[in-house]
Amino acid sequence: MEHTSRLERIIRIVLVALILIFFLFPIFWIFLMSFQTNEDILRIPPSPFFTPTISNYQALITGKLVSAAGTLDIPFMRNLWNSVLLSSVSVVIALILGVPAAYAFARFKFRLGEDIAFTLLSFRFAPPLLVLLPLSLYFQEIGLTDTYAGLIWVYQLIALPLILWIVRGYFEDISPDIEYAYRIGGHSWWRTFTRIAVPLAGPGIAAAGLLAFIFCWNNFVFALILASADKQPVTVGSLAFVTASGIQYGQIAAAIVLSVTPTLAIALYAQRYLVEGLSLGAVKG
Amino acid sequence: MSQKAKDFFEQYKAGKISRRDLMLGAGKLGISAATANFMLNAASTQALAADFDWKKFKGAKLHLLLNKHPYADAMIADLDNFKALTGMEATYDIFPEDVYFDKVTAALSSKSSQYDAFMTGAYMTWTYGPAGWVDDLGAYIKDPAKTNPKYAWDDVLPGLRASTAWNGVPGGALGSADAKQWCIPWAYELNSIAYNRKMYDKAGVQPPMNMPDLVEKAAKLTKDLGGPYGIGVRGSRSWATIHPGFLSGYANYGQKDLTVGADGKLKAAMNTAGSKAYHKLFIEMVQNSGPKNWSTYTWYQVGTDLGAGASATIYDADVLGYFMDGGDNKEKGNLGFHAFAPNPEAKAPTPNIWIWSLAMNSFGTQKDAAWYFMQWASSTEHDLFGATKTDFVNPVRASVANDEAFKTRLNKSYAGYVDQLAASSPGAKIYFTPQPLFFDVTTLWAETLQKMVAKEVPVDEGLDQLAATIDKQLKDAGLG
Repeated sequence: MEHTSRLERIIRIVLVALILIFFLFPIFWIFLMSFQTNEDILRIPPSPFFTPTISNYQALITGKLVSAAGTLDIPFMRNLWNSVLLSSVSVVIALILGVPAAYAFARFKFRLGEDIAFTLLSFRFAPPLLVLLPLSLYFQEIGLTDTYAGLIWVYQLIALPLILWIVRGYFEDISPDIEYAYRIGGHSWWRTFTRIAVPLAGPGIAAAGLLAFIFCWNNFVFALILASADKQPVTVGSLAFVTASGIQYGQIAAAIVLSVTPTLAIALYAQRYLVEGLSLGAVKG
Repeated sequence: MSQKAKDFFEQYKAGKISRRDLMLGAGKLGISAATANFMLNAASTQALAADFDWKKFKGAKLHLLLNKHPYADAMIADLDNFKALTGMEATYDIFPEDVYFDKVTAALSSKSSQYDAFMTGAYMTWTYGPAGWVDDLGAYIKDPAKTNPKYAWDDVLPGLRASTAWNGVPGGALGSADAKQWCIPWAYELNSIAYNRKMYDKAGVQPPMNMPDLVEKAAKLTKDLGGPYGIGVRGSRSWATIHPGFLSGYANYGQKDLTVGADGKLKAAMNTAGSKAYHKLFIEMVQNSGPKNWSTYTWYQVGTDLGAGASATIYDADVLGYFMDGGDNKEKGNLGFHAFAPNPEAKAPTPNIWIWSLAMNSFGTQKDAAWYFMQWASSTEHDLFGATKTDFVNPVRASVANDEAFKTRLNKSYAGYVDQLAASSPGAKIYFTPQPLFFDVTTLWAETLQKMVAKEVPVDEGLDQLAATIDKQLKDAGLG
C-alpha cells in the first residue's frame, strides 16, 4: 500500500488549490460580473462586494438592452438557438457520415483509401477565410446563401474530419477477432457494424461527437460571411454588447455564462466518455 | 383630436408656423408630447411627399446592411414613416461593429445582390469605389426625376460632402470637380476635447486652449487628482489610432500625411521638422499623462475610462464624450465639451472626422428604389427627427445643427456641446490624403508611434524610418 506523509498531502492539497484558483478564478469573476451593473464592474478599485442584479440576464432573455443610446434590441436568445441548431445538427450528420467511413478506413484496405482519408483531414488545414469567398460565390449560384442547410453543410468542414479521424483510431484499437467471431455466426457486415463495432466504439464516438460539437459551437466566421443576421450563432451575437455608446460588461458576462452552459452541461455529462474515448483512440495498444 | 388641433398641424405643414410654435401651441391645446411628436412626424412625412412621387416603387422590398450603432437605431425608430411615405418594405441585417466591415467586404467582393444599401465610412469607399462595388451617387442627386426637389443637398455641410467624394486618383483632392460621390453623409463625429468638469474644478484647471497647454494640464491633472490620469487617446496598432485626436492636431499644425508631386507621385511627409515637433509633443503627453497600457487603447477603452472616472480628459470623437455623458455611466452629467485648436497660432479647430454614410451596392437589382430609401434616410426630416428625438448626433445638415429644438435639447444635458460643435464643424473634414494604401500607411504610422512612446526608437529616427518604409510601399504599388 502506498504511503504518503502528512506533509506530502498538504503540499498536494495546496498545489491542487492553486491550480484550481488559477483556472477557475476568471470563470468565477465572470460569474460575479454577470450579476453586477456596469457601474459596479467599472469601480476603481474593483470590489467583490456589490448588490446583485438579474438585469443582465433579464436583458438577454427579453432581448431588450438598455444602454446610453436608449433601449436596443438584442436577439441573443435567437443567436443561442442558432448555435444549438447548427452545432447539434452538424454533429449528428457528421456522425451519420463519419462513423461508417471511419469504420471502413479502419477495417478495409482499398484503393486510394489513405489518400481519401487524408483529403478529408486536409479540410481542417485550410484557413476558413481562404475558403469562404469562393464558397460564398458558389452558394449564391446554387441558392444556399443564408440558409441553415448551407451552413450545416459548411460546418461539416469542422465536424466530419474530427469525427472520422478520432473514431477511426478507436476502431483500429478494437480487436477485429470479436467481429470475425460474430460474422462466423452468420451475421451480415452491417449487423456486425451496428451490433458489435459501434457499441464497442461508443465512448470514442461520444468523445469525438462532443469535441466536434465544441468546435462547431465556437465557430465564428462561417455564419458571419455566409448568412444574414437572423442566422448568426452566439459567437457573433455576443459582440453586439460592444457598441459605439459603450461596452456592456455585465451583459457580456451573462452572455458568456449562458453560452457556456450547454457545452459545459454536455461535457460534464460525457466527461468519463471523453477521457476514456480519447485516451483509447489515441494510444495504440 | 379636435379640428383646431388638426388645423394647427396643417399650418405647420404649409410652412406658416415654426416647429417651436407648433409644439408650444400643441401643449396649450392639451395635446400630449407623444401625440404631438407623432402628428409632427406625420405632418413632416406628408410635407415631404408634396412635390415628388414617393410611391413610384410601391411594393418594392429593400434589404439593408447596418452596423449596430445608435445611428442605425435612430433610423429604425423612424422606419415606419418611410414605409408609409413610399409603400416600400425595408428589412435589415444588423451586425456588431467589430465584424461589420468584414461582412460588408465579403458581401461586396462576392458581388452579392443580397443588400441594396449599406452603412459605410468614407475611408472604406476609397477601396469600394475604385473597385466598382459602389455606385456614384452624384448621378442620382443631380437627376430631378430621381431626387425630391426638397432634398436640399447643399444643406449638407460642405466638408462632409467633399469628404465623401473622390475622383479615384491617388492623392486627388477630396470633393474635386471630377469627384464621384461614393456615399452620402448620414451622421458624423469630429475630434475634440471632452473633459470631466468635476475633476477640472477639483484640480483648479481650465479646459486646455492648445496642445502645449493640454500637455501641461494633463500632467497637472495626473499629478493632482491622485488616481485618474490626465488624457485618454487611442494607441492600438491600427489606423483608428491616427485618425482621431492625433491627426486633428497634426492638421492644425499644418502637417500632412503625404505630399503629391507635380508628376502625381505620392511621398510620405511624416519626417518634416514640423511633424517631428508635433510628434514630440503628443508623445510627451502620452508618456506623462496617458493610460498605463496606452498601446492597447481603442475607442472603447478611451470612452469607458472617461465614463467611469478613470480619466480626466479625452481628445477623441465628440460623440464618444456625448455617449459617456449619459446612460448608466458613473460620470453621467459631469462632462464638458470644448472646441480645441491645438496649434497656438491657429485661428480655428481643424478636426478630422469619421462620417457614417450610406452607400449603394453596385450589384443590387433595385437601385432606384434603394436611392429613394437613401434620400429619405438622409433627408432634413429624418435628420431632424434623429437629432431631436434620438442620438443621431452630429447631424450632417446645417439646418438641423442650427435648429433651436436640437440646440435646446443638447444644451440641457451636454455642457458646451453645441458651442463646441458650432466652433469645430466649419473646419471639420477628412485631412488624410485619399489613396488605396490608406490602411497600410496609417497602421504603420500607429506602429511607429507605439515604438516612440515606448522609447524603443527616438522620434526623429522613428519618423525618418517610417517615411522611408512608406515611400518604399508607395513605390512598390506604383504610387510613389
